[in-house]
Amino acid sequence: MALATNNSSNKAADAPAITIAGLEKRFANGVEALRGVDLTIEPGSFVAILGPSGAGKSTLLRCINGLETPSRGSVAVRGLAVEKGNLRAIRTEVAMVFQSFNLVGRLNVMANILCGRLGKRSTLGSLLYLMRPEDRTIAEHALARVGLTERAWERADRLSGGQQQRVGIARALAQEPVIMLADEPVASLDPATSEEILDLLREIQERDGITMVVSLHQVEYARRYADRVIGLNDGRIVYDGGVAGLTDDVLAAIYHRSGNDDEAGLSDR
Amino acid sequence: MKRAFPTASGWPPLPVMGAALAVIVLLAAAAPLADVRPIHLLVSLGRLGAFLANFLVTPEWSYVGHVLEKLLETVEMAFLGTLIAAVLSLPIGILAARNASPHPAISHALRGLLTLVRSLPELMWALVFVSAVGLGPLPGVVALGFVTVGFLGKFLAESIEAVPDRAVEGVQAHGANRMQVRFFALLPNAWPDFIAVLFYVFDHNVRAATILGLVGAGGLGYDMTMAMRLFRYERLILIVLAIYLAVTILDRLSDRLRARVI
Repeated sequence: MALATNNSSNKAADAPAITIAGLEKRFANGVEALRGVDLTIEPGSFVAILGPSGAGKSTLLRCINGLETPSRGSVAVRGLAVEKGNLRAIRTEVAMVFQSFNLVGRLNVMANILCGRLGKRSTLGSLLYLMRPEDRTIAEHALARVGLTERAWERADRLSGGQQQRVGIARALAQEPVIMLADEPVASLDPATSEEILDLLREIQERDGITMVVSLHQVEYARRYADRVIGLNDGRIVYDGGVAGLTDDVLAAIYHRSGNDDEAGLSDR
Repeated sequence: MKRAFPTASGWPPLPVMGAALAVIVLLAAAAPLADVRPIHLLVSLGRLGAFLANFLVTPEWSYVGHVLEKLLETVEMAFLGTLIAAVLSLPIGILAARNASPHPAISHALRGLLTLVRSLPELMWALVFVSAVGLGPLPGVVALGFVTVGFLGKFLAESIEAVPDRAVEGVQAHGANRMQVRFFALLPNAWPDFIAVLFYVFDHNVRAATILGLVGAGGLGYDMTMAMRLFRYERLILIVLAIYLAVTILDRLSDRLRARVI
């Protein structure tokens, strides 16, 4: 499949895929999910984010495509700041894969994948669910890549968890993104299916050159699939480096729990 | 062995006991107000029997043609009223849903309007429209449509609000704008419930349409009241049977269609 149409300027091509500076996020209920994160992610890499529940993994990812608004600090995607005014522009470059798939259960698989094209089409251009033939072709290619061509016309909520996640990935692919964020994409799947999904993400990263940022619960998967690991604990980066550096001490630091803190009250955000 | 409720104390939950007590107290207070006299009811059974005996007549078979014609008119009124209301309630329901409305004030205002429309029964609206557009089925259709918009708009708004945020987020994260989120995430998930309730509402409207004739708003109701006032039981029994049959058939039909949609 063709890569994202490269109509952006040279500046965008030279800039890092993602630049995060001094990022802080405090939720309305007082929970501090991120306490100052600085991070630069190079184009085309496979980055795994590790950390205990409530460390801020999801919040970090959600800040990158503007699903959460930072309390302080900045996020930029290919040199373009993630702000209210250009959310749509950002989101057409950044695809997202979710832990609970976030499909529209009552639409069929094809319609769900075509949702990936919405960012590039106007309201009129998608009126009455009439989509352009080229969008349909892109969606069919995406579906073929995740191996679900024969399920195209079934309702999305009739598929198994692994299959729904494949549809989620196909939807992300159909978007022809530059960056793909995956928020614990295998947390609700069994080990065999998890490996299939991660193989698929790795293959997409290698073949299409899409920058892949994946938050994970299993250190084992991070070791096997990632080029670089970011260790988050209590809203701060405690490790940033290669897979080889994941020693027992480092893992202890990443998964360290400070008993008096509010992380126990945090959900998956 | 001593039996106990599955609560910490072994007693029924306090709210349940409180609610039961409240119902008993309210019942005791309400009975005299509503003039409920069970003895009187029992004594009246004889007269009820006498009235029902009036139906033991030979139906006026030549009247069947007229009844069927009026029945068709009644069903058509309900159908039109429901259809018009369904179309109107789509935009209204979207605007009234908190998670799809452009502004909270709009959804609040629309909710209030829908409640107002719904608070008066069809018969009252029919009276209003009969005096506005004259006798005939038209004011009946408008009255039915009015109340049905009040109900369907509220229902659609609520089923849109019940759509899980996850589906919305999934579509949003891919760059969909607000309008596209409505069409691709909110409506598809709210649709099936809306259509299911549409059948139910149609059912209800057929029954409501039979009574609108009472105020001259078309349908079988006019003939029913006339037959009752003039003691034409040989006609009344045909009308009652026709309504019963129509409602039963539609009920079965809508049950089947509903099962397919959900």
